[in-house]
Amino acid sequence: MIWLVMVMTGIFTFGTRFVMLTGWVARGLPKWLIDALGFVPIAVLTAIIVPAVLIDPATEQIIVTHNARLHAAIIATIVALLTRNVIATTCSGLATLWVLQWWL
Amino acid sequence: MTDAPAQRSATAEFCLGVRHELPLQLGVIPFGLVFGILGLASGLTSLQTILLSSILFGGASQVVFAQLWAAGVPPLIVGGSVSVVNLRHVLYSASMAQYLAHLPLRWRILLGYLLTDEAYAVSIKRFQDGPKTRYQHYHLLGSGMTLWVAWQISTLVGVIAGTTIPESWSLSFAIPLTFIALVAPSIRRRADLVACVVAAVLSLICQPLPWKSWIIISALGGIAAGWMTHYHTSKNTPTDKNPRPR
Repeated sequence: MIWLVMVMTGIFTFGTRFVMLTGWVARGLPKWLIDALGFVPIAVLTAIIVPAVLIDPATEQIIVTHNARLHAAIIATIVALLTRNVIATTCSGLATLWVLQWWL
Repeated sequence: MTDAPAQRSATAEFCLGVRHELPLQLGVIPFGLVFGILGLASGLTSLQTILLSSILFGGASQVVFAQLWAAGVPPLIVGGSVSVVNLRHVLYSASMAQYLAHLPLRWRILLGYLLTDEAYAVSIKRFQDGPKTRYQHYHLLGSGMTLWVAWQISTLVGVIAGTTIPESWSLSFAIPLTFIALVAPSIRRRADLVACVVAAVLSLICQPLPWKSWIIISALGGIAAGWMTHYHTSKNTPTDKNPRPR
């Protein structure tokens, strides 16, 4: 079953990359659709980030106080805005998390 | 294909694509490593984790796939969520079409498969700014194949290392951190912020819903909210001088 889902999603993903190269959509995409698709990365990635930061995997509850991951995410956001660098952001976030988890 | 100068220019364009793509691997390789580790931790087999990197070939969507599959989400919801995550590729495909549409089918299939965020980013710049030659598509072949090779090798290394790295390192948290690096600088307009906030709120309040459907609901909700804000603001300010560059 998992292989079937892997292959089907793979075919769909290829389809999203290939569809406009087929020449079937002659006049290009309508403007409203292009506008809407422009919001896909922000909406999708935010929806993955926020629960990963705020939800405790053990209890499945939202935790705000004493949440090392929240502090790490805030530091990472600041570094991301300042440097626009993926490596710097990820490293600063992980370093914050490790410091808070192990030394405090 | 046999004339030497033409061959050289195709090779040169390919190498240029490779060279432009290489710096981006600084971000890609750690992500691939983490995905390899995460795939195993999610209960996928080594083979499934490794092949997901070539079948899906998209970082965020592979993470979503592994997490949803691990949580026992019904296949249709897994497929739907992964598909929403990858919808943005339609945009890349659309903006590449004018440069690639004349190519033979086998070229378009190959380049379509290789059309990822990072390869798109460097090659569309080359297509727009570089000389219009018969061989410019070799640039995308170079950038796409560089990314493909880096992604496969880093996934493989992650799978091999995954069994030795202790859980307490919280390496899987590197994935949301990578996404923060992508999202935070991309919020430039009010509509972007609205999309972000709505997706964030929905992703929390929809947690109790079955099948982890919060991923797909908050993604679609964020897209809709951002689009409506954009539509509203651009209607009130008809001279929109800051269209999104992509």
